[in-house]
Amino acid sequence: MSLLLVGINHRTAPVDVRERLSVSDARLPEMLAELKSLSGIDGAAIVSTCNRVETVVSTENEDVIESIVNWLTIRGSATRAELEKHLYILRHGDVVRHLFRVAAGLDSMIVGEPQIGGQVRTSFQTSQRLGTLDPLLNQLFEQTMRVAKRVRSETGIGEHAVSVPYAAVELAKKIFGDLSGLRVMLLGAGEIAELTAEHFAAHDVAQMFVANRAIDRAHDLASRFNGVATKFDEFPSHLAQCDIVVASTGAPHYLILADDVERALAARKRRNLFLIDLSVPRNIEPAVAKVSGAYLYNIDDLQTVAESNRQLREGKAVDAEELVAREVETFKKRLVAQDAVPTILELQQRLETIRAAELEKCLRKLGPVSADQRAAIDQLTTQIVNKILHYPILQLKEADDEPQERESLRRTIRKIFGLR
Amino acid sequence: MSVSPNTALYLALGLYAAGTLAAFASLFARVARAQRVALALMIAGFVAHTVWIGSICVRTHHPPITNLPEAASFLAWCIFAFEMVILLRYRVHAASFFVYPLVLILLTISAVIREPFALMDPALRSGLFTTHVLMTTIGVAGLLIALAFMVLSQLQDRALKRKTRGPLWQWIPSLNVCNVISYRALTIGFSLYTFGILAGIVWSYRTTAELIDLRTKQIGAVVAWVFFAMLLQSYISGGYRARRTLFISAGAFVAILVSILGIHHA
Repeated sequence: MSLLLVGINHRTAPVDVRERLSVSDARLPEMLAELKSLSGIDGAAIVSTCNRVETVVSTENEDVIESIVNWLTIRGSATRAELEKHLYILRHGDVVRHLFRVAAGLDSMIVGEPQIGGQVRTSFQTSQRLGTLDPLLNQLFEQTMRVAKRVRSETGIGEHAVSVPYAAVELAKKIFGDLSGLRVMLLGAGEIAELTAEHFAAHDVAQMFVANRAIDRAHDLASRFNGVATKFDEFPSHLAQCDIVVASTGAPHYLILADDVERALAARKRRNLFLIDLSVPRNIEPAVAKVSGAYLYNIDDLQTVAESNRQLREGKAVDAEELVAREVETFKKRLVAQDAVPTILELQQRLETIRAAELEKCLRKLGPVSADQRAAIDQLTTQIVNKILHYPILQLKEADDEPQERESLRRTIRKIFGLR
Repeated sequence: MSVSPNTALYLALGLYAAGTLAAFASLFARVARAQRVALALMIAGFVAHTVWIGSICVRTHHPPITNLPEAASFLAWCIFAFEMVILLRYRVHAASFFVYPLVLILLTISAVIREPFALMDPALRSGLFTTHVLMTTIGVAGLLIALAFMVLSQLQDRALKRKTRGPLWQWIPSLNVCNVISYRALTIGFSLYTFGILAGIVWSYRTTAELIDLRTKQIGAVVAWVFFAMLLQSYISGGYRARRTLFISAGAFVAILVSILGIHHA
């Protein structure tokens, strides 16, 4: 049985090609059924995210690659030549390695990003639910999820934020721990501020105040985050109520001074205040950083945090790649050994039949023997058979992971030992 | 009555030493698995330690609080028990870098001094005296844990202010969690410690007709109480971030040490 993977990703194909081939969750069952119905396919799965569309199949006949490429060509409304420029085709051990790397986030645009593991799991579960997985693919996906989990827990590759908004959230967690129940103030409505607010909103903050010179924009943004829009001039009165302030206005001067923060902290009984200044020129006076209980980070600080985290992740990716390589080898060996089981059993049965028959003949010729003598002869013949079988079994278990090579070896052994 | 050498004590000491080394290995080599190994070793040490304390209680028929080796050992046991409660409740490993060595040092004191265990003087055998020593010891354990989390909080505050990561960055929980733990440990520890001191004063008055006996351990205990009261006041007023708090914490720690060592020389 062969494993094959045909797909495109962010490195091989531009977004206009990826979007034509992408499969939404709603259409996944239909696409899986279509793929599985192609002649020669035993098991099928599709992994589709914004960065990749990959079909994974198990088959006895590698010629199905042609059918898969044709099917993708029709689906992508493209010419075959156009699509082939972007496609990659992987076989056997390379499929295992690729899937392990993808699920662990090692093949992602941002190394170690956490979403991909969940996306692969969802694809796997959908295929499992629809019954398009055969035992081989089932085993492969289960192991893929185990390896992804191991990589994350043992290397900590996804632990550190690598984008400015996520870095802001990570720092907020270092100050406050749980973010739910906190109040966030959005000062201005710049693009990064909006993204940062989205990240905070995803952590169930209790309330979000939006202060913007254009009150309509403030209302728009506040309604998106279920927050409260306030007049821009009134934001200082809300400062003491907020735990996190995100400033991102076009104002050419400081809007929040150290004295304002001192007053706010006194009013909040010195509870910590996290201030994020994403604007250039800066909106928060740098002296705020010296106020006890206030933590000020500007855009450069956050970018430095994100960059150092990126370097940290790259270092951890090396460990993760080593772990994946070890897991791939183990899995390949397990597959080869499983594949060899029927032949090994047949071989053992065949030699045991010969041994038993020859032993009977021999005992008849010898005449009466004691129970000990019979046991000794029995043991001797069993040992001879085991020694003869040792190397053929070893060869079968340690064969190359290339299915054709394995099949060739099996055929040779069957021929030599006269198996059917 | 002397008690034969204790295998459990040396076993606990060895396991605590190995656990402390593993914890420091996780700190410098940044291997999370080493921290789990350290915890497992420390828990094994704690079990051996408990067996040792239990055997003293069985042989002497009173809590292990008669002399410095017993008191140091019981204090170490209480500190580790506190650490376990915090670990279970908050999943915080960072304090281990302070708690493990402290536990190891205290038990080493017990092992090195090797003072024979003694039956309690009949004059000391009273519920009030036992309450005094137990409450004071448990209170001190809570206060030392509070100090450990205050230091962690200061380290985290400094890292966040300087925008750099120290070696403890990944281990230290959020500032809020550090403050909550240190505040709770401080209030619980201070209450028990105060109660213990009051019980001691009453016991002293009953047995010697004096409210306080001005020896090293008593002076150390009262000075430590004053320092901890100042720390608690800082927390309540919100001024716990000030540099002053660090000096008070250091003073409290020294006073506690003097008080413990004073048991030997009193």
